[in-house]
Amino acid sequence: MQTIIHFANVVFKPIIDLGAAPVMLIVLTLIAWALGVKFFRALEGGIRLAIALTGISAIINILTTTYQPALTAFVKSTGIQLSITDVGWAPLATITWGSPYTLFFLLLMVLLNVGMLLLKWTNTLDVDIFDIWHISFTALMAIYFGANFWVATALIILIGALKIINSDLMKPTFNDLLHNNDNPMTTTHLNYMMNPVIMLLDKIYDLFFRWLDRFDFDSAKLNEKIGFWGSNFAIGCYLGIFIGLVGQQGVEQIFTLSFTGGVCLQLFSLIGSWFIKAVEPLSQGVTDLANKHLKGRKLNIGLDWPFIAGRSEMWAAANVLAPILLLEALVLPGNHILPLGGIIAMGVTPALLVVTRGRIIRMIVIGAVELPIFLWAGTLSAPFITSVAKSVGAFPAGVKGGTMIAESTKEGPIEQFLAYAVGKSSTGEIKFVLYAIIGLAAYCLIFWWYARQMKKRNAIYAKELADNKD
Amino acid sequence: MIKMLTACGAGVNSSHQIKDAVEAEMKKRGYQVSVEAIQIKDLNPETMKGVQIFLPINKPDLSFDVTVPEIDAGAILYRMPAMAAPVYDKIEDTIKKNHLS
Repeated sequence: MQTIIHFANVVFKPIIDLGAAPVMLIVLTLIAWALGVKFFRALEGGIRLAIALTGISAIINILTTTYQPALTAFVKSTGIQLSITDVGWAPLATITWGSPYTLFFLLLMVLLNVGMLLLKWTNTLDVDIFDIWHISFTALMAIYFGANFWVATALIILIGALKIINSDLMKPTFNDLLHNNDNPMTTTHLNYMMNPVIMLLDKIYDLFFRWLDRFDFDSAKLNEKIGFWGSNFAIGCYLGIFIGLVGQQGVEQIFTLSFTGGVCLQLFSLIGSWFIKAVEPLSQGVTDLANKHLKGRKLNIGLDWPFIAGRSEMWAAANVLAPILLLEALVLPGNHILPLGGIIAMGVTPALLVVTRGRIIRMIVIGAVELPIFLWAGTLSAPFITSVAKSVGAFPAGVKGGTMIAESTKEGPIEQFLAYAVGKSSTGEIKFVLYAIIGLAAYCLIFWWYARQMKKRNAIYAKELADNKD
Repeated sequence: MIKMLTACGAGVNSSHQIKDAVEAEMKKRGYQVSVEAIQIKDLNPETMKGVQIFLPINKPDLSFDVTVPEIDAGAILYRMPAMAAPVYDKIEDTIKKNHLS
């Protein structure tokens, strides 16, 4: 045994010491190759991942070093503790993919999906390999806050299974939203796990605010009017000006903040596309393998959420919610994030669209009510995200201690609270054990209630479909 | 060079899958095409300028009329060659019918 451990140390230690980018190059290449992808195609993916990791670190570096003085001055002059830099989704995804654990959790989720398919518990084959990072993020967060590896694994198996069941529950609604009953598109994206909470808020809305529905407006027209003001670079620019002004910076500094914000937000999404390409060979390998073993069965296919991005309500709601998010961030007790990279809340509005089926006023009102959950979850996850970023070498060394990064509208805020409670409860403190038990019970219970509502909705869809055929 | 445009939620994932797949397949079939992938909220008459075929995922609701041929490319995302083939065939037909180059 000693010899094996010694041998492993001799072989693996120098590789691990190389740092995250080289390690992930090697690991991703080998795993894709093992799944039957051609070697050089697999290597291409590995190199792309290393480059994406390196690129994202460079930009986090630019953003945090430029913004930190202004944010610190802002905190000092106003007393409002908004010191966490909101970097948006791309850096979070990249650093999560930079952890070797992610590949293990990916394997686990694929096995879970195939298992559920074989048992006929679901009809969805998830091909959105890239978004496994959300699940990995949840598990890593639980581990960071103290959970044992296997406890974290059990937590994400629960969340993963509910996610897949949810994709079946939502399928008829997607057909309705797409005006198309003959397509296999659905999604297992984590952002739709907010549906149960939104549905609860929607029922409350039904009781008190139903009269607001008649003010629904044409969202495509609104989006056209907003034009380039809603693009990444523009948002970066005027948030830079905003932070510069409240941070009482000089004119020159305000311009620097503004343009740097524009550059970073623009580059984050560009580099986002690099590492989606990096995971591409692996995604195709996993899908081919799963298809081979599920021959002849007609399945729904789980995609990334944007196949419904053509619905203009999603963007109209995100555009209107952006300034609301900023206002809430300024006054919300316990929030320490100033919205920047995540201010166009793409992790929030798709679930609103599905539950309300595109009633825009409802989307905005319910969205405004649920945004604090995202801000609190973002604040809670900041130490964890910063620590992972440091461990994969994606965090600038020069920035002073206490500087943190997070995302203001990260998908799955409830799951982040669960990860925190489960992690903390592993330390044995009775308070957190109780939180974790109550949290998990409430999570399952509200999902069960939501599933019943969705089944009622789906029965109506099925009846309409049958009536139309007659 | 035939110019096409596709769009998705963030302009980084789904639209890039479509871009890469269409460019690779059309090259195989002997056509010179370039597909631009953008975020759907940046889609407007200006970004559509010079585009010869529009490749959306499903049918997006836009505030303007698309005047060029529109082919739903969503099926490419299923990662199954048999399901993607009809999309490529339709693109090829459109190129031939409209004598695009």
